[in-house]
Amino acid sequence: MKYDAVIVGSGPAGSVTARFAAEAGAKVLIVERRAEVGVPVLCGEGISEKVDSFKVLEGKRWIATKMKGARIFSPNGTHVTLSAEYAGNETGYVVYRDIFDQELARGAVQKGAEIMLNTCAVNLLKKDGKIKGIIAQHFDETIEIESDIVVGADGVESRIGKWAGIQTTLKPHDLETCVQYTLSNIDWDSPFCDFFLGSKVAPGGYVWVFPKGKDVANVGIGILASLSESGKAVQLLDKFIANRPELKKGEPLRVITGADPVAEPIQSVKDHLLLVGDAARQVDPITGGGLMHAIEAGKYAGETIGAAVEKQIFDAQTLMEYEHRWKNAFGKKLHRSYVTKEILLEMEDKTLDMLADSLKDYKFEEFSTLSIIKALVTKHPSLLVKLTPLMKLARA
Amino acid sequence: MVKPKAFVKKEKCLACGGCISVCPQDALLMVSSKAVVNKEHCNSCSICVKTCPIGAIAWEGT
Repeated sequence: MKYDAVIVGSGPAGSVTARFAAEAGAKVLIVERRAEVGVPVLCGEGISEKVDSFKVLEGKRWIATKMKGARIFSPNGTHVTLSAEYAGNETGYVVYRDIFDQELARGAVQKGAEIMLNTCAVNLLKKDGKIKGIIAQHFDETIEIESDIVVGADGVESRIGKWAGIQTTLKPHDLETCVQYTLSNIDWDSPFCDFFLGSKVAPGGYVWVFPKGKDVANVGIGILASLSESGKAVQLLDKFIANRPELKKGEPLRVITGADPVAEPIQSVKDHLLLVGDAARQVDPITGGGLMHAIEAGKYAGETIGAAVEKQIFDAQTLMEYEHRWKNAFGKKLHRSYVTKEILLEMEDKTLDMLADSLKDYKFEEFSTLSIIKALVTKHPSLLVKLTPLMKLARA
Repeated sequence: MVKPKAFVKKEKCLACGGCISVCPQDALLMVSSKAVVNKEHCNSCSICVKTCPIGAIAWEGT
């Protein structure tokens, strides 16, 4: 059986790519190494409300709560609030990622995509140096799946890119290593998503508390891998929880780990090949958020595949349409956030406290990291020396 | 003396793939939802050991 596109990974990037490719008439197969789409969840489960505009999800079953905004706590507890009230009521959702992923996959299937579970890509299928599909392990059977295009939607640990000769190995400085409990029986009576900064709380990262309905929340931590030691993330998270009366009597419903690339984006196109989502490092290096980018890039990837199939041309030049579109949409933002991440990592706790204090009563009109950067520059002309390159990026 | 190689405590690993993404030797892979070290490729650099958020990677013989 030959496909127009075989997509490795059934996460949001893979399913949305499959959906738009199938809708454009391509014959598409998603391969997933796990036995269930969306399980285990590897995510903090927050997403911007912008997801609604892509119309790739039906119903509301995937929504746990609608956020009222976000609060960012500096090391001494001063907080900056981004409230829905001032941000045009547009903030975000906390989702059930397993249901969310299954709904996206269902949408792809409705448009004609096929899914093969328990199927692990083990290499690219090549003939005369050209990519012709993938070789996969399906239980004890090794199979060849032929296709004109291979899509690597295989996440942070992407092998597809590596096999195609793209440098995908992350430096520890560009990876957040994460662990999260879904805690029940807590007294966290807040409709806000909370972020806690500080070198003692989460070196090079943050602790988050994302409410998930009555007395349940995702409480997680991400620390920079270059500042990590074996098991440090979970030790710091346990300490954070033990120090908070509202959380410490909580009981875990789930524990998960995660790895979040906070790197500059990489090459996402080769002849017969695309990388989408975390595999292409389409993650905001400040927030670690990647869901929205995976969905947006997946749409562009799917549409590009549809056009390539129609023309029956699969070279890098044709597929570059995809990279141009996603870079135009959010490439500059990712770069700006990477530069900001580098500046934030240099800041001492007392600097973060000072900056938070200056913004504690600020009314942000937009729910974004850019709005915080703009406010900081307005309040601290002395920071301009460091932040000027950022403002140039913001205007670009 | 031969340096010890990293190994994954299977019962502890939660399959996030972080170790795989940072291994400069490409010595880790996911097998049946557990990370596994390919000893022949491991050069004992300790990046995976330090990266694991729950301490599921240790040194052989420890």
